[in-house]
Amino acid sequence: MELSWWAHLWSVLPEIVLVLAAALMMAVDAWLPEGRKRELGYWAIGGLAAALTVTAVQAAQLAGGIAVPYEAFGGSVRADLAAMLFRVIFLLAGILTVAISMDFRPLRQSGEYYILLLISVLGMGLMGAAVNLVMLYLALETVGIALYLLAGYLRDTPRSAEAGLKYFLFGVFSSTIMLYGLALIYGFTGEIAYARIAQALAGLPAPAVMAALLLILVGFGFKVSAVPFHFWTPDVYEGAPTPVTAFISVASKAAGFAVLIRAMIEAFPTAQANWVAIMAALAFVTMTVGNLLAIPQRNLKRLLAYSSIAQAGYILIGIAAASPLGVAASIFYLGIYTLMNIAAFAVAVIMTNVTGSEEIRDLAGLSRRSPGLALAMLAALLSLGGIPPLVGFFAKLLVFAAAIESGLLWLAIAGVLNAMVAFYYYIMVARAMYVDRSPEEEKPVWISRPARFTLWFTVAGVLLLTVLVYPLYLLAQMAAQAF
Amino acid sequence: MVPLTWYLLVATALFCIGVYGVLARRNAIAILMAIELMLNAVNLSLVAFWRYLHPTATTGQVFALFVLVVAAAEAAAGLALIISIYRNRETVDVENIDLLKG
Amino acid sequence: MGELIAFYLLAGIAVATALAMVITRNAVHSALFLVLNLVVVAVFYLLLGAPFVAMVQIAVYAGAVMVLFLFVIMMLGAERVGGTTGLRWQVPLAGALGAALIGGTLFAFLRAPAGLAPVGSPPVPFGDPAAIGERLLTTYVLPFEITSVLLLIAMIGAVVLARDSGPEGK
Repeated sequence: MELSWWAHLWSVLPEIVLVLAAALMMAVDAWLPEGRKRELGYWAIGGLAAALTVTAVQAAQLAGGIAVPYEAFGGSVRADLAAMLFRVIFLLAGILTVAISMDFRPLRQSGEYYILLLISVLGMGLMGAAVNLVMLYLALETVGIALYLLAGYLRDTPRSAEAGLKYFLFGVFSSTIMLYGLALIYGFTGEIAYARIAQALAGLPAPAVMAALLLILVGFGFKVSAVPFHFWTPDVYEGAPTPVTAFISVASKAAGFAVLIRAMIEAFPTAQANWVAIMAALAFVTMTVGNLLAIPQRNLKRLLAYSSIAQAGYILIGIAAASPLGVAASIFYLGIYTLMNIAAFAVAVIMTNVTGSEEIRDLAGLSRRSPGLALAMLAALLSLGGIPPLVGFFAKLLVFAAAIESGLLWLAIAGVLNAMVAFYYYIMVARAMYVDRSPEEEKPVWISRPARFTLWFTVAGVLLLTVLVYPLYLLAQMAAQAF
Repeated sequence: MVPLTWYLLVATALFCIGVYGVLARRNAIAILMAIELMLNAVNLSLVAFWRYLHPTATTGQVFALFVLVVAAAEAAAGLALIISIYRNRETVDVENIDLLKG
Repeated sequence: MGELIAFYLLAGIAVATALAMVITRNAVHSALFLVLNLVVVAVFYLLLGAPFVAMVQIAVYAGAVMVLFLFVIMMLGAERVGGTTGLRWQVPLAGALGAALIGGTLFAFLRAPAGLAPVGSPPVPFGDPAAIGERLLTTYVLPFEITSVLLLIAMIGAVVLARDSGPEGK
């Protein structure tokens, strides 16, 4: 089928908006006088919001059946509901990250920072839409390089520079190993498009496919920070500027899952028996190691790092289930996780601005110092922990149900046990806020207006989605059917 | 003509030497060079696969060209990060880069 | 026969330079060995009938990228920080991993005779810049455009990070 030029452009319309926004920001950066650089954040939010609007319209058209899914640019990208919903996650994470970046003290306000952020969101959108190996690798590297540079952005802070270098070395090493796997797949099949790879792989000996698959999973495992590819996570999360950490923990992870889900379902359906076993093992190890290592942490960012590793484990359960329910559960979980985790990191950003430290004990007395902030953190933590009335509970319920439906009862039980362990360290943070006292209690906490917006948005989102669980689930289900 | 196997063996050998270099060296610049060697090995296998197994479409060559571009971008970004850390710590030895305890 | 001898010779040089690159303690020597290795691989590309990739390899990789490496090494005076790691478990692990990978591949390829000879000749003109350029601007136009964005952010980031902060930290 010959596509019109408009159909080609339509498939990457959000990315086009982002490129234009990035170009505009370069001009605005040069034009704004030195004292008004903070306003660059509003321009970035504007660009991301424009792209979000476009994506939302496209998603509505696809969901409503007005537009049909198709592949564009010679089979490079696919325009379907899953790609659009993942874009919504990335763009939302981008907007919320910009909002907490604007008044983050250690960060000099500059156009380059926001441009790198916009381009990494662009790359993520393409990761979610990529349906051939070349596009996949390029999108992955675009996101990677932008994020390495953002992690090391505070060049006068040794910890940030160190985080950037570590992230870079681990990231490039794992993506190169993945690339070798991609080259093997090309060699075996002569194809780079997922759909045709799937056909060609059917007749190949299983060990060869397995070897390539394992190499590829190294790269994906790094992106979603699954154990044993998680070594970089705590160090990078601690050293990177906190807003960037929030962004990496949410958007980069979601992008990793987007490519993982699409590649497994579209390119490796014939090797499903193999990858289901790998995913189940990865899920088990990831959540267990993440939760156990989170317990002794005293630094809030390191605690959230291990918590985010554990969360990746729960999401992997949904993929291991390898069913429409499982994929829907994973997408649902990712959407919720985005809101919860950004809320937690927003509190970390605000506390860093006030106390200059990221230790959990510096949260002492927060409930008296700033009741609203403590309540927001509590809501985020309880939802991350999966406490019943909140939406995080439904997310866990869905992935566990998917595991049981696919006959992975042991994995679901392991997940429940893990959730109990996780509850302990989330409560420890809450305890610091509500029970511990501190001499600083009288000093008020200053929360900038954009950061306040992020807090309101995420917490309101968590609460609202608690009520609207079912529509959100239906949406995730429709996206899962798009593959 | 030389059998494909030989080309793939050379590529694999280069890749493995690169992996060894990444794991065993502690100079960040040397690690980055070892990664470049790995990328180079992947490219060799891509072009060899194209020539021997799938010569009708230029896919393998195009893939290799994209990998070359990415390698250049990675080198630029990586060296910038290395310069940045050198300004802070006066070292590029990854064992002395240890403020963050992993 | 001549081609086979040339191949063995080049393969020997490629592996030897790669080994020398990871073993030598001087970063400048490492970089020069890598340049040599890249040039040898470029000759492989010529043997394989991909002259365009070979030229790009020489110009961009062996040329520009490696000059950048040498420049940074000399600027930082980092050529002496070499040697292998003091973490004792890593070296045997690296060696074992490398040996396992080579062994596994050797086994896989020697057991699969299908890949021993070319399945057919590429259509003429197969490796020329015009054919590749045409595909880059038709089928691969989106990845092609993305590489421009990729290079742009690498450049922006490199400028921001490597720029001198100046006396008062601005």
